Amino acid sequence: MKKIVALLLSILITISCIGFAAAEGDITLDVIICQYGNNTNNWFTGTGINGKNYVQLFEEANPGIKLNLEVVSWNDVYTVVSTRISNGNPPDILNIDTFADYATEGLLLPVKDYCPDALYNDFFPSFIAQSVIDDTVWAVPDLASARAMYYNKDIFDEVGIAVPTTWAELEDACLAILDYYGGDVYPWGMDMTTDEGQAAFSYYVWNNGGGFVDADGNWALNSDANVEAVNFAIGLFNKGYTNPSPATQTRYDLQDMFGAGKMAMVITTNQLPTYLTEKGYSVNFGTAALPHNDGAASGATGVMDRVMAFRDDAYADQAARNAAIGKVLEFFYSPEMYTGWVSMEGFLPAVSSAVSYLVAADPSFEAWLNVLDSCQFYPTAKSEWIDVKQGVIDVEQNAMLGGDVKTLLDELQAKVAK
Amino acid sequence: MHSMLERRKWEPYLWLLPSILLMTIFVIFPIFIVFKLSFSEISKAGVVGDFIGLGNFKAAVTDKAFGTVMTNTLLWVVSVVGISTFLGFIVAMVMNSPFRGRKIARSIIVFPWATSLVIQASIWNYIINFEYGNLNNVLLNLGVIKDAVNWRASYQIEFMWECGVGIFVTIPFVAFCVLAGLQSIDNTYYEAATVDGAGYWKKLTKVTLPLVRPALTVSTVLNIIYVFNSFPIIYTITKGAPANKTDTLVTYLYMLAFYDQQKGPATALSVIGFVLLCIVAGLYMMISMRKEEL
Repeated sequence: MKKIVALLLSILITISCIGFAAAEGDITLDVIICQYGNNTNNWFTGTGINGKNYVQLFEEANPGIKLNLEVVSWNDVYTVVSTRISNGNPPDILNIDTFADYATEGLLLPVKDYCPDALYNDFFPSFIAQSVIDDTVWAVPDLASARAMYYNKDIFDEVGIAVPTTWAELEDACLAILDYYGGDVYPWGMDMTTDEGQAAFSYYVWNNGGGFVDADGNWALNSDANVEAVNFAIGLFNKGYTNPSPATQTRYDLQDMFGAGKMAMVITTNQLPTYLTEKGYSVNFGTAALPHNDGAASGATGVMDRVMAFRDDAYADQAARNAAIGKVLEFFYSPEMYTGWVSMEGFLPAVSSAVSYLVAADPSFEAWLNVLDSCQFYPTAKSEWIDVKQGVIDVEQNAMLGGDVKTLLDELQAKVAK
Repeated sequence: MHSMLERRKWEPYLWLLPSILLMTIFVIFPIFIVFKLSFSEISKAGVVGDFIGLGNFKAAVTDKAFGTVMTNTLLWVVSVVGISTFLGFIVAMVMNSPFRGRKIARSIIVFPWATSLVIQASIWNYIINFEYGNLNNVLLNLGVIKDAVNWRASYQIEFMWECGVGIFVTIPFVAFCVLAGLQSIDNTYYEAATVDGAGYWKKLTKVTLPLVRPALTVSTVLNIIYVFNSFPIIYTITKGAPANKTDTLVTYLYMLAFYDQQKGPATALSVIGFVLLCIVAGLYMMISMRKEEL
């Protein structure tokens, strides 16, 4: 009896192996996509597109190319990718935010090698410019999101104050709200967690004429404008204007507080309305530009994710592989597919052909597209970016514990410039 | 007859083979790989480069967070293992004495240990939440406090909460190990002690403690290993924030490897942790076994 079971099992295993082997002549591409929300999996591999999914539709339209597509959560994707690289088995196509380390290690294909010209010219040039190292474009943007200040209209009406545009006005508004509600409402939301503290850094330094880099693109983390900006932010916390634990309360915690009417103002992504609706909050909110210091211009923070292709030098027919990768991109960015994708998760498009489609469907989109034009992005093309990202979060958290901002930023600058 | 003896010789090894194979593939081989990686340069993208000697260890140890993290790890292990062993022992004594509803009490006691740690930590996160936490709600309704209290006002307090949750989930494990030991003690020892005029404390220190020591040794060694390697409680409650002030070695090296992309120093730290753990657990076992022999 045991022998028969064993025999059956081994036959089963052999059959399943044969089943997975692709037909001869086919190209199989390993694709890793990041999980942006609850719908990502369903759209790519489930039944999210009228009962079908991206992989099915692509394979029907492109016989001979098979996709081995995996949707991975943002928490795991770095681990998955670096483990695969360490084992000599990187994906063919990867969707992620950073690219500089992969590019400088020589792991990526230049975009020109696989991206069809028509598609390449469709990307917003200011977006493409964010993925250039040594005059070569290494990745294309898959989508963008922009940050704005959201405020609770009812709270502002109740207290009888105007929406702040400058830092001085912001402090006055915070004080008025704090006095009026006696601590039941947090005037200002602040997320300085390891998840996204670098965004908080950008909200303040970019609105004080500072930034991560100087005009020549060199790291300038300890500039006077940055020191002043971080001190201002920490001041808001010390004066009790913010949520109590910015080091552990993430953007989602803040969005929940805002949705529940416990927070008057919060800076977050253009996806907030989608988030509030999905969670069942009904709060009367408005949007405004990020408050800035007197004399500095208001700067918006844009966040962009990317798609890139890895080299596979062992592959026999490089031209066919490049063409197949191009096909995957072309299909993804075709207006029918792409507009469905970005609007499903509430993102902003990265190709101009999608704009007219989206504005036709929802005229309020136009305002966001104007914001996108003026967005500043993180300097992700510099390979020290990951150190800087974690470094500024560390500075913020230490400053909240009473550390001196100037000293902390000087130390970080010295470490990064080394 | 001869072949039977022959078979007896190799048969145990045959039965052990699957576990030895599994251990080799999933435990020994990965340990070997991590040791090898800790002496290699690893790029942020994950490319494994040349042998760089102790470079990764130097980078890990000289980082300004290292001191804080090691102190926290020590506090974490000593307080969680120490206090949970003490309280677990008391719980076991209570569970061993006859009372109505003992069976139900025994099954309730096991809950904190049987629930997933991530769920436990998330629930405690809710309980101590300032805005909508149960603790504040209960105390406000009972009139114990007038205004909501921020139970996580500083990182020191947050770390104490984390230790508290660690103790809470570890008590049942100790209690059941000790309970097993208590139940194996023959009642005649106590009868003899009573005849000799021993009181409660005498019985506890001269009869009970020496006889449950093997059970305590096992639970303590296992606890040192579990608690040292425990990740979910701290990661769920504070993620080591602010500025690594609530990190232990395990959460710190995870953040280092997967957030900061510093895989080299992270592997070096995991080797340090492994060696430390081997030394501590080994020493404890040697000391307690020597006592048993005496």
